[in-house]
Amino acid sequence: MAFFPGFYKQAGSAVGFRRLFWRIFIAFWLGDLAIMFATGYTLIHNFESSQFSSRYKTDMERQANELIKFYEGGESLKSHKDVEKLIRGQDRSDNRGGRLQSMIIIDSSQQQIFRYRLNLNDKATFLELTVVSESGDSYQVLAQNPVIPRFFKQALNRFQTYQFVIILISAAVVSALLSWTIVRPLKQLGSYSRSYASDQSVEAMPDKLLNRGDELGDLATDIEFMVNQTDKTMNAQQQLLHDVSHELRAPLARLQASAALIEKKIPDNSYTDRIHNECGRIDQLIQQILNFSKLDKQREEKEQFDLVSLSRALIDNIQFEYPQRTISWQCNERSLLINGFPESLSQAIENIIRNACKYSPEDSDIDFSIVSAGNKVIVNIRDRGEGVSEGELMKLQQPFYRAGNKMHTQGFGLGLSIAQRAIQKHSGELKINNHADGGLIVTIELPS
Amino acid sequence: MKNEKYRILLVDDDPMLCELLSEYLQEDGFDVASLNSGEEAIATLLSDEQFDAVVLDIMMPVTSGLDVLREVRSKRDIPILMLTGRGDDIDRILGLEMGADDYLGKPCNPRELVARIRAVLRRSQQQTETAPAASTVDLHGICLDSGARSVTVNGKSLVLTSAEFNALKLLMNSAGETLTKQDITEQVLNRKLEAYDRSMDVHISRIRQKLAAEGVSDVIKSIRGVGYQMLTDS
Repeated sequence: MAFFPGFYKQAGSAVGFRRLFWRIFIAFWLGDLAIMFATGYTLIHNFESSQFSSRYKTDMERQANELIKFYEGGESLKSHKDVEKLIRGQDRSDNRGGRLQSMIIIDSSQQQIFRYRLNLNDKATFLELTVVSESGDSYQVLAQNPVIPRFFKQALNRFQTYQFVIILISAAVVSALLSWTIVRPLKQLGSYSRSYASDQSVEAMPDKLLNRGDELGDLATDIEFMVNQTDKTMNAQQQLLHDVSHELRAPLARLQASAALIEKKIPDNSYTDRIHNECGRIDQLIQQILNFSKLDKQREEKEQFDLVSLSRALIDNIQFEYPQRTISWQCNERSLLINGFPESLSQAIENIIRNACKYSPEDSDIDFSIVSAGNKVIVNIRDRGEGVSEGELMKLQQPFYRAGNKMHTQGFGLGLSIAQRAIQKHSGELKINNHADGGLIVTIELPS
Repeated sequence: MKNEKYRILLVDDDPMLCELLSEYLQEDGFDVASLNSGEEAIATLLSDEQFDAVVLDIMMPVTSGLDVLREVRSKRDIPILMLTGRGDDIDRILGLEMGADDYLGKPCNPRELVARIRAVLRRSQQQTETAPAASTVDLHGICLDSGARSVTVNGKSLVLTSAEFNALKLLMNSAGETLTKQDITEQVLNRKLEAYDRSMDVHISRIRQKLAAEGVSDVIKSIRGVGYQMLTDS
């Protein structure tokens, strides 16, 4: 007998960042990016720096050459503004944008012919060049060592921004795919076991999962094995219960026949009546156990039925047996179609109404109402009996539990278990509460 | 009734139970034969042997009680009382629809079994005894001849089981009146209405279906919480 009230609860939210999908995704994405940055850094750093330095040197040489050419041509290099004009007037092919670089030019007689923004305090940081002019004179040029620009600037230079975005996106896509291939089979496994837990139906495990050949495939095989074993055990248990109950009936029938024969031979004895009563009770118990085991075993197809007319017919039938009772009917709907198992549900409702009749004063009313609220149908059955102590409310749905320790009175404590099971089969909920004005109120909530 | 010796055939796959029940029924003045399989039951019932009533267990291996019922009902008009596992509603309804005269939950108190057998016998006797007091009722195009025990709807004859015929007769004879389910059960099945007892509802719904198939519908009204009523011609 499967009894898992609220057995499966969906764990966590489906989109939270604690989900495995996002964890794997982010880990891989960050990992991808880190590797790319590291590689990029090494490459750019080495390559760009050496290139930069050599380019810088050439540019310096070229500019010094030009300045010397002006100098030898008789131009004055005293005014920096003039010099800048001169430089800009040239056809530019260097990378310095025609800007005058800080440098000092000294001719062969150790005379400083040009100086622009350069301090001679620390010789170590200077780049020293020797430039030979067209006239054959050699000049000494002092310039600043190249300052290599920051890595990020270089990297940005290298990869234009859109390239960078493409890399980010493709890394994301690859990580997402990877994450998905791990999470998807896990989700399938989850829905597989969830469907088994909720309605005990064993579906075929998707072949794709079984034939993966990796650890997830192994897990799928193991889970399928486990579900099949559980199902087998449960079926065997139910079959046993069913068979035992059925088998008990044969000796019971013989017992009753024997008691009846004794009655014939020795009339007027109260003991045979007692035997008949007890036989009747055992028979009822067998009946209920059979009903209970049938609920899990039945693999009937869902069908559409009208809850209103089903309930109406039920109440009519019970009314025949309890003519002194008023079972008040409250329902504003003409019909409420439900997709489910009419036989199980009608048994559930019947059990609850019969309980109400049994455990409340004979002349008191029973209220029955059906309300459709949003995507739910709510059935309320209220009696005006003593109710049940708070501590016992939860236990009422356990098989063979009877409130108020009424162990030896009528009933077996199976009615509500059967109802609970039947309602669970409809993905509904059974709630039992004490009514504020006394009595018990039983609520059935069904998805419509 | 006790003066006559009725012959009863008891069919159940449990030989010990058959023995005990036979003894009990004999004590009550019945002449009892018992069989332990459906095959034997079919053979015996279709032979020349005469029985006044049959008590038939549904749950039997190989040939079930329903198989026997199906086989015998078409050829012999003999009262058949089915024994069903209590609560096996489907078996019950199937049995009634296939023409069993009544059913009894098993295990049962043999006293109850005797009462049911008497009720079934009384009913089949009434059918033969009341034959001379023939009368016909005509309503909604349904013509019921209690002498010939036949029903025609708009000229076409309708096949009803004996319980169905009796129920229809009762309803037609008291058209316009509401009959309680208790009364109908007592008069038609010659027994009291029990808890969880829906056999009368099954009979009525079968009658409705059969009438509707001939184009007569909505003539038997359900009176909520009470019973049924045949509408008068208006």
